[in-house]
Amino acid sequence: MSEPRPPARVSFQEELDQLEAALREEGELVLRSLRAAVEAVCSQDVELAEEVIAFDDDIDSQYFEVEQGIELLLARQTPVASDLRLVLALLKDNLHLERMGDLCTTIAKLTKLTKGLPPDDTLLEGFKEMGERAEQMIRVALRSLQQRDRVAAESLLELDELIDRANRRVVNRLLEIGHDLEVREWGLRMILVSRCLERIGDHAVDIGEQTAYLVTGEFREFTDASH
Amino acid sequence: MPPMETTAAPVKIAGMRVETAGARELPAQREVLFDVKDLRVTYAGVPALDGVSLEIYRNYITAFIGPSGCGKSTFIRCFNRLNDMIPSASVEGSVLYHGEDLYGKDVDPVEVRKLIGMVFQKPNPFPKSIYDNIAFGPRVLGMKDGLDERVEQALHQAALWDEVKDRLKESALSLSGGQQQRLCIARCLAVEPEVILMDEPASALDPISTTRIEDLMHELKRNYTIVIVTHNMQQAARVADKTAFFSVDVAPDGNRRTGILVEYDDTSKIFTTPADKRTEDYVTGRFG
Repeated sequence: MSEPRPPARVSFQEELDQLEAALREEGELVLRSLRAAVEAVCSQDVELAEEVIAFDDDIDSQYFEVEQGIELLLARQTPVASDLRLVLALLKDNLHLERMGDLCTTIAKLTKLTKGLPPDDTLLEGFKEMGERAEQMIRVALRSLQQRDRVAAESLLELDELIDRANRRVVNRLLEIGHDLEVREWGLRMILVSRCLERIGDHAVDIGEQTAYLVTGEFREFTDASH
Repeated sequence: MPPMETTAAPVKIAGMRVETAGARELPAQREVLFDVKDLRVTYAGVPALDGVSLEIYRNYITAFIGPSGCGKSTFIRCFNRLNDMIPSASVEGSVLYHGEDLYGKDVDPVEVRKLIGMVFQKPNPFPKSIYDNIAFGPRVLGMKDGLDERVEQALHQAALWDEVKDRLKESALSLSGGQQQRLCIARCLAVEPEVILMDEPASALDPISTTRIEDLMHELKRNYTIVIVTHNMQQAARVADKTAFFSVDVAPDGNRRTGILVEYDDTSKIFTTPADKRTEDYVTGRFG
């Protein structure tokens, strides 16, 4: 029975929308970095790896921009209820995205370290698969946040299981080829690459948990097993 | 991989949690002080507030928030029968205080207002000395023994003693607005009430005085039960343990506006995850 009211707190809503858009942009930067990092490691492209490392500065500055926006908004607008939950979720998601960027940088550094060492094609296939899965997870995480879709956010847990399985296959393959001195050093470094991709998936799950918190108001981990 | 064998004593993590004691200390046992059931207040037959039921707990700070005209001030006035002063006002439903009907035939409204004091929006000291302002209530009620001590104690409790102890004979009107409001709180405390009702107690005060009143409320809740009406939502969020959100129900023809209770819960819940969309819209500032 309420009569139509003029919109309230217009500039506050705009600030919130801008913050969310800035976070999505950061997500796009991470996706670019991830694609390039996987491409670099699979094609042993050191030049591309260096680009990935340099590109992390772009992700970091986007991270700082979001961080400062949140700080200012908290200080000036004292958000409560769903606004507060959104700001808290953005604060944490921002950190998760920045971490993903760091993991891409680590992959790029490992690519540089293994320059000239003979790779194993089966493993490279595994990384491609993990990279695609991680990319998909980031997309689902960002979309579920944007659409406030708890069900989609929770589906990240199943996607994470797939990337975890791929990680285990990589480790098993490394155990198989570990006797081969030619590929041993490369293989040891590559365990870390696999781990980085698997961790990117974990961060995507964490973003999904924040979305569920935003929607329901109750925080719970999707799984009590440590990732 | 088999688990690693270790001879060292296991490091215990569980049980190491440190209990944090904060300003939000609440009594171990929640005791219902007021039990309001289906309250309806009308002015000249027109309902100002309808269908309100809630419980107020002892030694809690309970805040009433809501837009203008939602009946929150009308409601707080029911707790010490101040609406009795308005000839056209009528109160239906029940307000139980310690399980007794506050509106029962044998209940003396003056006795009620001694136990349940009220502090108003604008400081309203009597045009008398600081001392006489505090001593007035006890004198009227025949609590004449140890009056000096009573005055001093009330001023201490209201965190005003240090500022006025050397000028007790001066006019209360010489005090600043914030001091006057604390004087009114001291005046309320001097007759040893159990409950302090506060209707917008800080809305006429500057931010520093407001903070002092809020700090004082935290102090007072050890010994008193406090109910506060406030327009300032952040104030409710800062001081209250429980918060009730009232709104206005507009009749389909648009002619009648009645105050209703929308949601009553822990303050933390109201300001993080309110259950009702109307509460959410109000506390986030999207409606008001």
